Formats: sequence, C-alpha cells, structure tokens
Amino acid sequence: MIKLSATHLLYLVEAARWTILLSLLAFVGGSILGLPLAVMRVAKSRLVRVLATAYIQLIQGTPLLIVLFLSYFGLGILGYKLIPLVAAGLALTLYSAAFLGEIWRGCIEAVPKTQWEASDILGLNRFQQYAYVVLPQALRIAIPPTVGFMVQIVKNTSLASVIGFVELSRAGQIVNNSTFEPFVIFACVGAIYFVLCYPLSLAARTLEKRVHVGR
Amino acid sequence: MKRASFLRLVAGASAGLLAPGVAAHADTLDDIKKAGKIRVAIDLAIPPFGMSDDKMQPTGSDVDVARLLAKDLGVELEIVTTTGPTRIPMLQTSKADLVISTLSITPERAKVIDFSVPYADHPSVVAGLKGAPISKMSDLDGKKVAVVRGTTQDTDLTQQAKGAQLVRYEDDATMALAFASGQVDIIATARSLLPAISKKNPSRTLEPKITMQTFYLAIGLRKDEPKLLAWVNDWVRANLRNGKLAAIYKQYHGIDIPTEQLLKAGS
Repeated sequence: MIKLSATHLLYLVEAARWTILLSLLAFVGGSILGLPLAVMRVAKSRLVRVLATAYIQLIQGTPLLIVLFLSYFGLGILGYKLIPLVAAGLALTLYSAAFLGEIWRGCIEAVPKTQWEASDILGLNRFQQYAYVVLPQALRIAIPPTVGFMVQIVKNTSLASVIGFVELSRAGQIVNNSTFEPFVIFACVGAIYFVLCYPLSLAARTLEKRVHVGR
Repeated sequence: MKRASFLRLVAGASAGLLAPGVAAHADTLDDIKKAGKIRVAIDLAIPPFGMSDDKMQPTGSDVDVARLLAKDLGVELEIVTTTGPTRIPMLQTSKADLVISTLSITPERAKVIDFSVPYADHPSVVAGLKGAPISKMSDLDGKKVAVVRGTTQDTDLTQQAKGAQLVRYEDDATMALAFASGQVDIIATARSLLPAISKKNPSRTLEPKITMQTFYLAIGLRKDEPKLLAWVNDWVRANLRNGKLAAIYKQYHGIDIPTEQLLKAGS
C-alpha cells in the first residue's frame, strides 16, 4: 500500500473546494427559490398555498440522494444531458429551497399579528408590509435555524459523489482506499468540514447581535 | 447494499418507463473515433483495480486496461469517476462509453447492458488467521465474518453460510482495519487483497481458507452497439493472447489470470 503523504492531504483540501462550491450553489439557489416559497405558504390565495405546500412536502419527503440521482441520471434518460455541476446545483437548489421555504414561513408567522394589523392601518400595501415591517423582523428570528440548515447543507453535499463529484467525503474515501489509513484520513476530513462550518456559526452570532441592536 | 439496490431500482424503473423517449443512437464506435476520446467509467476506490497513486493520479489494473484500450483504439482516455452503484446508470445515460470497473458478469446486469468477453477473473475467498480450522462453509457457523456491503461475497455468504454472523463494512479499507485491529478474525474478500490486508498487522496473517464463486470481469457497454462490442471483444481476445492483460493483472494483483479459461469462456 501507498504511504500517506502531504500530497494526499493536499488532495483533500482541493476536493474541499467542490464542497464549498456546491454549498454556495445550494445557499444561493435555495434562497432565491425559498423566499417566494415562504411567502407563497402564507399567501391569501388557497391555490397558491396548496401549490407551495405540495412542492415542499414532495421534496422534504424525498431523500436528497434520490433528488440528485434523478436530476442527473433521470433527466439524462429523458434526453437532457446536464453536466454534473448543473445537475448537482439543480438538485441542491430544489432541496434547500423546500427546507428554507418552510423555515422562513415559520419565521414570517412568528411575527406578531398586531404588526400586520398596525401596518394595515398605516395604509401599507402587501408588498410594503413585507418589505418594511414583517421581513425585517422575521429575519432576526430566521438567523439561527437558517444557519443550522446551511451547516447541514455543507455536510449533505457529500451526497453529490453519487453523480461523480469527488468532493471532500469521496476524496477521503479514495485516499483511504489507496493508503488504508482511515483514522488519519477521516480525522482530517472531519477537521476540514469543521473549518468550513464553524465560521458560518460564528458569522451567524455576529449577525444576530447586529440585528438585535434595536432591542 | 440497500441503498445501492434501491438506486438501481430507480434507475431501472425510470429506464423502463422512459426508454421509448431515448433517441436512436448513432454508432458509438464512430462517435468515439470522431471525438478522439473515449470515456471510461472507473471506480477509483476499489484497490487494486482502481485507486490513486502517491501523487493522487489514477492507477490500478482497471485503469491500465482502460489506458491500453484507448491507446490501441488510437484515442485519448477520459476517466469518468464513478461509484459501485452508479456504474450501470453511467452507461445507460451515455455519461460514459464503457465501464471497466470490476464489473462481474451477472444475469441481472446482462438484462440492461451488454458485456464484452471476460478480460479477467475475480476469485473471492473466505480467509482467516493462519492455522484456524476452517475448510468449509459450515465451519463458519456462529463465527463473525467480515464482508464489504453489497459485494458478490456478501450475497453469496448470506445464502451459503446461514449460520455465520456477517459483519458488513462500507469498503475494503474499513474491513481491513477491522481485521487488523482484531474486531474480526475471518473475512470474505477478493483473493488479490489478502497480502495488503495482512501487511497492516504482521502478527495477524491471513490465509485463504475457502474459495468462493469466481466471477468473470468484463467490459460493460450500452446495449445495441454491435460495432463497438465486436471491436472490444477482438481487443480483449488479442490482449489475452499476447499476454498484455495478464501482465497488468500480475503487476497489481500478484497473481496470474487463467488466460486459456478466459478465452474459452469468451469464445
């Protein structure tokens, strides 16, 4: 067997770049799609609410692994040849949008009803109510669960190995299977995940303090 | 492997439902030559078939087979990294032209893809500590036997050694560690891996006890590719005869492949 060397560790760090890129895709795509979903979940129209609920239930009830698999191989069979990065970005976006949508719906509903009523009386329209009254308050409530979910996403990107990505976890597996040194390698993999996730939690704490400034 | 077989099921089901939608494919052999490169799916986490060297470049017997094939076809080799359960979907969805990745010929797989003639065999054994009294499956009763989840060894032992307590591991490296650290004394694996596993702990040397079913390994292709299949078959036979495939196997596995037997099986 091959001896473990600095090259192997470098390989892990390089693979971590995929983990970062995939996480970013999930955050950005998930947020863009998740916010409208959250608003749809509390919409006045029943049809809109039902549509958003159906989407969220469908995705939340499906393992991310299967969503990834279907977006790469399933669409492939249908004739849409997505490159792995697009397929993974699509699957992660669909997945995180469903969760972020539901998290944020909870946050919007947590804003006291009196705030809606008060802004109604002030003559604000629905958009203004969201933009100036409800969402800024929901944001404060949303930070902890959102960051918690983001940290999970960072780790969930390991599932993208199913469509051929050599991200951090898969890289660890590959190195382990050439060196047979699981303790060292998976300790390193774990450490790199921690280095990626911990700053997120730190940033969240800072952000929370900043938006709590009015209290 | 529960997850793996479920994935296969999903792939199979979607393939079955959607098959009519797939456009009639032009000839892959022509496409490969036109593109000047062949895409071969290989799992790089199954030593010594597919693995990485100390510079993290792909190496292993399957990698060398793919390199030789690409060279003889006169095209560039593009390795599509895959995992065990996705080897066949990679082919079905045209993400790869060939699969050369310890792919055993099994009737289930032959329903969805085509196989070339065999290029190597894959003998698996039940191995134990030197001197342990094990010679037949019934000797395993009540004992812990380590296997890698979802492999043919796992399937076989589940059926043949009903009295044994199977301990399933995620991959070869984890299983090797379990043996070296004394968690298990008996393992079922590919014969070619025994030296590497024994080396982990010199006080615990493995020796083969029971030879299990031997599978033939073949190159996987999409169905209905007569020209490519014919070319690959001729290539395999020629390189079995000239000893090049045997040399690759010897280099990584330290054992000889039964060339004559393989040629006969593939004729």
